[in-house]
Parts: sequence; C-alpha cells; structure tokens
Amino acid sequence: MTTFHLPDLGEGLPEAEIVNWHVKVGDRVQLDQPMVSVETAKALVEVPSPYSGVVKALHANAGDIVATGAPLVDFEVEGGAAKAPAMRSPPAPKVDPKRADDSGTVVGNMPTSNEELIENVIAGGTRGARTERVRAAPAVRALAKKLGVDLELLRGSGRGGLITVDDVMTSGKGARSSPSGPTAGSSAARPGPTPPATGETQQLRGLRRGMAHTMALSRDTVANCTLFDDADLHAWIRKSDYTTRMLRALAAGAQAEPGLNAHFDGESSTRQIFARVDVAVAVDTAEGLIVPVLRNVGGKTADQLRGELKTLKEASIARTVAPEDLRDFTIMLSNFGTIAGRYATPLVVPPAVAIMGAGVLRHDVVAVMGGIEAHLRMPLSLTFDHRCVTGGEAARFLAAVIKDLELAE
Amino acid sequence: MPKITMIEAITMAHAWEMAHDDSVVVLGEDVGVNGGVFRATAGLQEKFGKERVQDTPLAEGMIGGMSVGMAAQGLKPVAEIQFMGFIYPAFDQIVNHMSRMRHRTRGRLTCPVVIRTPHGGGIHAPECHSESTEAMLAHIPGLRVVCPSSPARAYGLLLASIRDPDPVVFLEPVRLYRLVRQEVADDGAALPLDVCYILREGTDVTLVTWGAMTFETMRAADQLAKDGVSAEVIDLATISPIDRDTILESVAKTGRLVIVHEAARNCGVGAEIAAIVAEHGLYDLQAPIQRVTGYDTVMPLARLEYEYIPSVARIVEAVRATFTDH
Repeated sequence: MTTFHLPDLGEGLPEAEIVNWHVKVGDRVQLDQPMVSVETAKALVEVPSPYSGVVKALHANAGDIVATGAPLVDFEVEGGAAKAPAMRSPPAPKVDPKRADDSGTVVGNMPTSNEELIENVIAGGTRGARTERVRAAPAVRALAKKLGVDLELLRGSGRGGLITVDDVMTSGKGARSSPSGPTAGSSAARPGPTPPATGETQQLRGLRRGMAHTMALSRDTVANCTLFDDADLHAWIRKSDYTTRMLRALAAGAQAEPGLNAHFDGESSTRQIFARVDVAVAVDTAEGLIVPVLRNVGGKTADQLRGELKTLKEASIARTVAPEDLRDFTIMLSNFGTIAGRYATPLVVPPAVAIMGAGVLRHDVVAVMGGIEAHLRMPLSLTFDHRCVTGGEAARFLAAVIKDLELAE
Repeated sequence: MPKITMIEAITMAHAWEMAHDDSVVVLGEDVGVNGGVFRATAGLQEKFGKERVQDTPLAEGMIGGMSVGMAAQGLKPVAEIQFMGFIYPAFDQIVNHMSRMRHRTRGRLTCPVVIRTPHGGGIHAPECHSESTEAMLAHIPGLRVVCPSSPARAYGLLLASIRDPDPVVFLEPVRLYRLVRQEVADDGAALPLDVCYILREGTDVTLVTWGAMTFETMRAADQLAKDGVSAEVIDLATISPIDRDTILESVAKTGRLVIVHEAARNCGVGAEIAAIVAEHGLYDLQAPIQRVTGYDTVMPLARLEYEYIPSVARIVEAVRATFTDH
C-alpha cells in the first residue's frame, strides 16, 4: 500500500479544497490519469494520479479542506514498489520553517550535499603583470598559420611589439633562414623574374602585393568611369617620342580642366586641385607594376622629360627608385599600347582622380573631306573618379589632350 | 569556524549588519513570519522585530517603491524578491528611480538599496522561477549587479552590497543555496565589489563565469587538467560594472577565452565580455572567443532543465574548439 499526500500546489500554500474526485475506491487508474480537482488560494488544479494501480482509499470528500502534506489517497501500486517520477513526488510535507529538517524550499527540490567547499581564491587580477606573449591581430595569426610561420619566433615591429603582416611576410616561409626576426632588405624573399608554372599556391609579395592592395582600394572606393577616343597623329612631323608628347598633352588637359589634376578625399568630401602636374607613369617590370612620378610635367622641355623618364625607367627596373619618387602624384599615365591593346579601363588610384591610358598606334582608315585616308591614330582611354569629376570636365580634359596631341609638334 | 551553506551565509550577513547598523531593514514577501521562501531571512524577525523585518503584500512594484522611499529617508533597505521572474513589476522603481537617484539629485541623495533575488534554475521549479535575466539589469547605468558563487562570497559580498551607498541587485544562485558547505567566519568582513575572483589559476585558457555556473566550470577545468589543459577560472562576481582588468590580464596570459553563462545567449552578459576583450585584448587572442550559454528560449521545466543549463561536456567541448577550430 502506498499513500499519496497532498503536495504543495503553489508556493508555500498551507491547504487546498477538494472540488471533486474523478476516481473512486476500487478504480484501476493509470499514471497521469486525472484523479482529483482541488482549489488552492491561487488556482483550480487538476491533480493527476502519481501511480498506476488500484485506489484503496480516499482520505477526503469533495468540499473538504486538506492540509498540504496530509494523506490524500491510498494506492495498491502495480509492480509493487514502483516509484512515482521525481517531479510528481511531492516535496516534504509542510513543516515549521524553523525546524532542522526543512527542505529549504517550497518550490522544486533543493539540491544538497555534505561536500565541503575549499577555495583558494584571488580577488582581482595580478595587476600589471603582463606576460611576454605574442601579440598579433587575428588576420596576422591566420596569415602566419597559412604560411607556416611560427609567430613565437618573430619580433613584432608594431606598437607594443605587435606582429604585423609585414613581419610575417618578410620572415620568409617558416622563418627558415632567420629564426630571430625579419630579414633585412627582404630581397631574398622576392620571387624570381620567371615564376615556375607549377600550379603551386604563391603568396603575393612586394610590388604585386602592393598592386593587389591599391587596385582593391580603387575598386572599393573610386567611382571609375572611362571615356574613349582617338588622337589623330597624321600631322606629326617626327613619328617618335610618344611618351613625352603624352605627358605634354596631359599638362594641356590639366590646364583646360584643372579638376582632373587633383586629389580627392571621399571620407571628408574634400579635394585639392593642383597647378603643377606630377604624372605617375606605369612601368611594367617582371616583378610587377611600378609607378614612378615625373614632376612638373608642364614646366619642362621635351628633352628634359625624355631624360628624366629614361632615368626613372632604369631605376624602376633596377628597383632603385627612391620612395619619394613613388608618391604624391597628381595624375597617372599608362602606356600599355607599347605591348598590345587599343582601349582599356584603367583604374584610378586614390587620392588621384584621373588616369589616362594610351593603346597601340595604328593606321586607321579615316574619312577626310573628299575621300578617305589612312592616318596614324592613338587610342586613348581616360578614367576619372566620377565622385568628384563631372563627365563634362572629363570630356573637355580629353578634348584638350587630343588637341595637343594632334599638333604637328 | 562554522561550515555553512550559502543560504545560512546570507542569513548570517543580514544578522550581522542588522545588529551593527540600526538603519538596515528587511522587507519582502514572507520574509518575516515565514523566514523567506528559501529561508534566507529565517529568525530575523524574531531577533530584530516586526519594525525591521517587514512582510509585504504580494506587490513587487510596491517593494521597490518602498525601498526607494526608505533609502531616501536614511534607511538601508534589503528587499527580497521571491524569484527573479517576479522582479519585473519592480523594474519601474529600479530603473527609473533607484539607479538614477544619485544622478537626478546631482549627488545629493544616493539610493542604498539591496534587492536580493534567487537567480537561475536547476531545482525543478515551475515556469518563471528559474530566471537568469541579469543582462537586463546589467544594462542599466547606476545599478550594480552582484552574484556570489560560494557561501564565503555570499557573506562578504552581501555585506559590501548593504554598505554600498548605491543600489545593488544581489542575485543568489538558487542551485547553490544548499549545495555545499564552507567555513565562513561571522566577523562582518566585507569582500570587495567590482572585482572578479580567480577561483583557479591556469595558463592555457580563461574561463569566465558567474553564479551557479562556477560549479560546472570548475568541474570542466578539472577534466581539462587531466588532458593537460590548464584552465584559469574567473568568477565575475560583480556582473556590472565588470572588472575588465582582471579578464584582460588573464586573456593576455592564456590567449584563449571561453565565457560560460546559464542565461540565454542573445545579448547576454557574455556578449559584453566578448566585446571588451575584442576591443582591448584582440591582439592577445589566439583563437576566436567561445560562449557556452543557455539557449534562446525560456528555461524548460524539470525534465529538460539540465539540457538547457550548460553542461561540463559542453564547456569542455568549447575549450577544445579554441585549440582546433581556427
């Protein structure tokens, strides 16, 4: 025989009123079958049968008020000593809260143990005791992992010993030759002029890596818009010196529309328009694109320009261009036509706002008054940053460039 | 020294402070005659009288409002909210008055109230009795949120909270009320607020947790130690304001951070800790930060309760992930 006591149906409710029974003595009941409805100070509650078995006795009638913990139903439980599930077994009968065997709660089951807690606790940190551990941004850690570089072997060149991308790049893969730190000059790390086509994944370095960065920057920030046209060189007296003529033409364009010889800062929406035309000239080398700057193009003679250009090109190929000759340009020129290609959509490198590309010279059939002639023509592609240059300005610039290029000399 | 449970330590702290400071008063539902739903205030009314230990009607908004008024007039009320799920009617008083009394009066009045309430689940209680919504409180400027994880810290931090001139919500991990015993001297010595407590020193990974989850987290650290992983376990203790220095120093040492809390994940306090470390300790991290939390749903009833509460296995798994998944 098992006796079911009235459980606490609220939080510390002392009693409940029996509203009506759903079972009677002798009934065979199933676990969870509705057994009795009781009303507490809080709610009307259906109490399900906590056991499967036969009802042997009911200890209260409908309308009776029963104290929490008092016997309610006697069962002949099936399977003998079957225990009600933990949730349904009522908590200990309501007792005086001051008594020692108090369960400590009137809701749920309070876990207890005799385990003694022995702690060795430190309040607050060991202030200021910074350990010598590698500090690196997540991207740098990822790069090092990819390249198999052990960051522990590097000395960070960043603020507070922070390891930078460059530290990892210049360490050489796995820091094989230089476990103590970045190699000076890093020339050994550069790929040879003819990289082997082995299908191996190569880490971009140096110039090519720089190009990846600036081109992505251009793509992400500049509103590149390109205008195409041709300059008819039929009137030229000397068929040479294309680059110096193009440089001069750029200066003429800048004079007509200074807005293209400028810097633009998209963040602050400010621009600087320059009087002096400093042209960055793209030079193709085996190791990648290098872009030295020719200063004050408008103020120099053709001979001066030719001489300076030659020097810069040689220095570029030898990789001896001074850093100051690689920055602070106001406009750009790409002469890809020396190789192939008529038109292109060259990308403006911020903060400059314009780049002009010259394609392969070709004799085109042109309609002239009274007939057709074959003229030498230079295809031109002018890309401008449409965020701060209007289409009209760009077109007038290009018109001035063409007008200057088409002069006999 | 007596070996006592957390609930006894809480009663002991009340009694000490009431005996030594006449301005301390206790109020709440069933705190007097009944001694509190969990017996936290057992015997206090007999000892200090009905004036100082007041049974209130079942009206949490009123408990909050009474506390504000008492505090403004020089008392130090210690109010009990029977379960954290019932604290919400008092939010108006907590958020609009308690937390900003100092600000509103330009420092003329502070609001030395302690609101104690059971925190978290694990005792097979019905709905609304297993809440861990500390993030809602931690978000409020001017409010201190404290959560002890041992009898000794319950005693020392409750004393500090009562003595503090500003409002404190004191969250008591219900699962730990009677789980273990600890030697606690009844000497009235408070513990510092606003600092973390390092429960275990380690070198490989920092585990930050608080309240009842210190229990699973310490066991996870034991298990990890068997695999040769040395885990540092930090008990946040004061959930707001967070002692960022201790956490950042630990992460600088270990390079890995796993945050464990029982509360739901979304916008939990763990997110704030992760943000602090991302802002100030990113370069020290060797692996992405991991969070082991409850799920974004209400605490389930008895049968699934421990599916919801982060298990030792889940914590260990998250720590392992910081060594492999990146």
